[in-house]
Amino acid sequence: MALDSRTVSVAAREAAAEAPRRGRWSAAGVRRVAGKLGGLALTLFLASLLVFFSRFLVPGDPVSFLLRGRKPSPEAVAQVTAQYGLDLPPWQQYLNWLGGALTGDFGRSLQYRQDVSTVIGERLPVTLMLVVMSGLLIAIVGLSAGVVAALNKGRPLDRLTLIGLTVLSAIPSFVGSIVLIAIFAVQLGWFPTFGSGQGFGDMVYHLVLPSIALAIVFVVLVGKVTRSSMVEQLGREHVEVATSRGLKRATVIRRHVFRNALGPILTVSGVLVAGLLVASTIVEAAFGLAGIGSLLVQSVDRLDFPVVQAIVMLVVTAFVVVNAIVDLAEPWIDPRSAAGASAR
Amino acid sequence: MTTPTPTLAVKVLRAPRAHRTSLVFAIACGVVAVMTLAAVFAPFVAPYPPDAVDFTAVNAGPSAAHWLGTDGLGRDLLSRLVYGARTALLGPLLVVIGSTIIGMLLGLLAGWRGGWIDAVLGRVFDVLFAFPSLLLAIMAVALFGKGLVAPVIAMSIAYAPFVARLTRALVKAERTRPYVAAYRVQGFGGAWIAFRRVLPNVTPIVGAQSTLNFGYVLAELAGLSFLGLGVQPPTPDWGAMINEAQSGVAGGYFLPAIVPAVAVVLVVVAVNIIGEELSDRIGGGVPA
Amino acid sequence: MSQLLDIDGLTLELHDGTRLLDGISLSVAPGETVGLVGESGSGKSLTARTVLGLVPERSRLGGRVRLDGREVIGAPARDILDLRRHAAAMIFQDPRAGINPMRTIGDHLTETLRRCEGKSAAEARARAIELLADVQLPRPEEHFDQYPHEFSGGMLQRVMIAGALTSSPKLLICDEPTTALDVTTQAEIVRVLVELRERRGMGMLFITHDLNLAASLCDRVVVMSRGRIEESGDARRVFTAPEADYTRRLIEATPSIAVRSLDGGVEPDASSRADASGRMDASALAGPMLEVRGLDKQYQLRGRPPVHAVVEAELEIPRGGSLGVVGESGSGKSTLARLIVGLEAADRGEVRVAGRERGAAPHGRAERLAHAKSVQMVFQDPYLSLDPRIPAGRAIQDVLRLHGGLDRAAAEARALELLEAVGLGERHLAARPKTLSGGQRQRVAIARALAIEPDLLVMDEATSALDVSVQAQVLDLVARLREERGLTVLFISHDLGVVRRVCERAVVMRRGEIVEQGPSDRLLREPEHPYTRLLVDSVPRPSWEVAA
Repeated sequence: MALDSRTVSVAAREAAAEAPRRGRWSAAGVRRVAGKLGGLALTLFLASLLVFFSRFLVPGDPVSFLLRGRKPSPEAVAQVTAQYGLDLPPWQQYLNWLGGALTGDFGRSLQYRQDVSTVIGERLPVTLMLVVMSGLLIAIVGLSAGVVAALNKGRPLDRLTLIGLTVLSAIPSFVGSIVLIAIFAVQLGWFPTFGSGQGFGDMVYHLVLPSIALAIVFVVLVGKVTRSSMVEQLGREHVEVATSRGLKRATVIRRHVFRNALGPILTVSGVLVAGLLVASTIVEAAFGLAGIGSLLVQSVDRLDFPVVQAIVMLVVTAFVVVNAIVDLAEPWIDPRSAAGASAR
Repeated sequence: MTTPTPTLAVKVLRAPRAHRTSLVFAIACGVVAVMTLAAVFAPFVAPYPPDAVDFTAVNAGPSAAHWLGTDGLGRDLLSRLVYGARTALLGPLLVVIGSTIIGMLLGLLAGWRGGWIDAVLGRVFDVLFAFPSLLLAIMAVALFGKGLVAPVIAMSIAYAPFVARLTRALVKAERTRPYVAAYRVQGFGGAWIAFRRVLPNVTPIVGAQSTLNFGYVLAELAGLSFLGLGVQPPTPDWGAMINEAQSGVAGGYFLPAIVPAVAVVLVVVAVNIIGEELSDRIGGGVPA
Repeated sequence: MSQLLDIDGLTLELHDGTRLLDGISLSVAPGETVGLVGESGSGKSLTARTVLGLVPERSRLGGRVRLDGREVIGAPARDILDLRRHAAAMIFQDPRAGINPMRTIGDHLTETLRRCEGKSAAEARARAIELLADVQLPRPEEHFDQYPHEFSGGMLQRVMIAGALTSSPKLLICDEPTTALDVTTQAEIVRVLVELRERRGMGMLFITHDLNLAASLCDRVVVMSRGRIEESGDARRVFTAPEADYTRRLIEATPSIAVRSLDGGVEPDASSRADASGRMDASALAGPMLEVRGLDKQYQLRGRPPVHAVVEAELEIPRGGSLGVVGESGSGKSTLARLIVGLEAADRGEVRVAGRERGAAPHGRAERLAHAKSVQMVFQDPYLSLDPRIPAGRAIQDVLRLHGGLDRAAAEARALELLEAVGLGERHLAARPKTLSGGQRQRVAIARALAIEPDLLVMDEATSALDVSVQAQVLDLVARLREERGLTVLFISHDLGVVRRVCERAVVMRRGEIVEQGPSDRLLREPEHPYTRLLVDSVPRPSWEVAA
């Protein structure tokens, strides 16, 4: 179904130019936002199905699955059955779980004998702090590396940056953690090797090395996207036009190159958040931090499935919500996307 | 209306400068080849069996007997490294093959047919994208138990949407090219054009991306073993070796952790260089 | 008289030693318009860009470029900025690429005023709106806050012109400013440019590949080829009595709508050739080769009014005849072609080729092959219409084996015959598209279409991506094939001159409707429909002929 794209685009442009100016909150804009929010809800709904019903992929009865590695005493069996409503039909179990999840009730942890939400709530601050510190690091280092490389495209500085990024991209967070611990904690003794400290300042101090280890791979991601997006814009004719009009190079770079290169960078940032949350499992394990990442690993290790489910759902939600925000922000970056005209 | 064709001035002003990376590329290929051979012929290459214990040398440094030293149990690090290459390379290989086959077929289907098939598959990909690959692998372990099998299957599924979305975008772009219309006008059938002409045309770019994926998967599977959720001791594995060596690091014994760490970094760097060079040579960017 | 722009012995070499410009000398006086003409790759745009200091990185310049009395080559960055801000401005080829899509029209216009001249926002806005009115945009106040994607190409080019004028330049450099536009839009833009030139007394350096356009508005022209100047002088002299061989060839290759040609005789056109062959009369008895009746196609777009791409089209081509379809972008001429070759299905109406119904999109293998045997198509862009992975010979063999069931050896022999028929040879059998030039690719595409021996050949803008000299060769090839094989051709083009050269008859399309049809010469000489007249009048013609 190949439309004659020229016919259509010409007609569309003529219509657009004739039509009176639309505001950003036009009917079309509202419809777009509503559509995105609908998509967000649908994606989350499908993801929750996957998270919940994955349990049913495991052969065998659900009680013995939940009680793996624990003594299946008749009392325990009865308690678990009642608590999770395992005697109910699957869809009703799902609705109960979903209803609870929507109100922040993810059931009880088998291991801690506490509400899952309480267990997670205690661990969340460390992880959030780690993600925020890492995010700042990534933004600063990644953006500047990308910008510097792009502006020196083809010169030694660019090549050096690219080589640096390629090497960094091959340092997974567990390798980064071990190396940072070995050098800065054990050998030089500048930073602690373990734990997240007490109070805000101490926490920041404890999280310096972990946030660096976490940031490494993502710095590369942001750096490379920034560079290629900037390089692409630098080659655009509108940049040449701006130059030909006598604007200073710095002005051209700022107003036309960097500004226009923001789209892909923003998109990558959306993916970053979930990536950081997941990768924090490894860093938290390496540095002995009590965050939700290490909680996830422990829960898998100790067969505490309700906690696993809750954390997975939390990360997935974070990913979907952040991406929806990025999506919604796009018209502010690229006015063409608001009009529904295809970008580029 | 004439399509504006880039004039000489434009081409000269915007030509991407070709740079010579062939030496680096050759070295990278060499590293991967050596690692692969070592993994395949591990029993002939390794000086000791991977779990042979030398009580006279615990946490020992490099020596004539143990070129890379030994770990906290007195096992030869070089031998464990060589045997560990087997799981380290096999896992990512399976994931890349699996995800590429699934992803290319689904991507071709979505991009070529369009319409509701595309919409449904797009929604499925969106949902799967919300599960980062490592998270899906961890969930698979939680469900099916530790080891390599569950994570490899989970990661194949997690990476398939990336391949599929790339393939879909490329196929969609190819489909609007006049050469496809020309085949139609000549009387060729849709399936023939899709499989015999369009698919081979997009394969190099997808292949380059899959090569890059190999590096990411290797790092993630090693990370899973590092968390103690992947390959289980005593099977030698790079990630597991680092995990076991962690306590030693705090005590100042770096080598047992550094040796497998360097191996991971080396292979991933090499694979990334190969992947990037391939996509540079093909010169096909991802159509936005 | 002191020159506004004086280029003397300009050379440009890339860092690897490739010489792109070699000894360029030209000058522009205040108020004078100088045309810089040549085919793609001649270095004309590069020459113009050096005037504003826009040169490739790490290139070496030689010679002198004096702009408004000041030397450009080797000037410090501050002086270059000053020259760009006050002495000269440039209009680029593709306004859609040339204006930042993420900023408003107003931002584009006021940017330099505010950032270079230090004007206040209100002052800059007032000036911008004044300029938008100067380039005759309908609602300047409203346009100020609009984004480029809301504009058509012609409107955007006016914005680009207004943007260049913010600096009140003494020299305006126009780099193919109308190439991306339709002919009627081109005429409007040229009118705006000419009026502004008169009013402001600007000098103009006008770069174009279109000799007719150059002849219509330049006082003097400079002809360039491969980085050198072939000839320069008074426009009328160069075009009527060219001295250089290159110029002469270029002029001969340029299709013209004027019925008079260079040597004063009648330019050989399609109708005279077809009459001479005498084949038409014999075959005309068997009924028309192509018959299109009441063909109609609408596109439904979500949230927009439907686009009526083809409205009740009626066409007929006799066996061995040729029909041109002329129209601007959006006229539906390409959709018409796609309907006829079966790439899309019409909503209503019928298409008959050699008496057989070919209106529906083909289903099933037998129908597909039968349809392909009836109609073949040559596409616009030879760079995209050949599969990049498949060598030329193989592309033709695939078709032969699909249709003829030939064995490998027979198919290879036949492929070679076909390549030879279009002026290629054995060495092109194994050539991949990227190693072929644009003209060679289009020959391969033609050979591939002929392999099936179709009843009808549709050529959709088949020469518009090519340089004029290559276009002339391809058109000659089509003429020869028609004579040798009695080929029936439907030729779709935006270019009246080209259509006249190929086709006895033509139809004019506008917004999906066929507004007029008749013999090509008659359409050009005595257009009846106002739109046809507008189209014909929009084609640039030498200023001395208009005056005469």
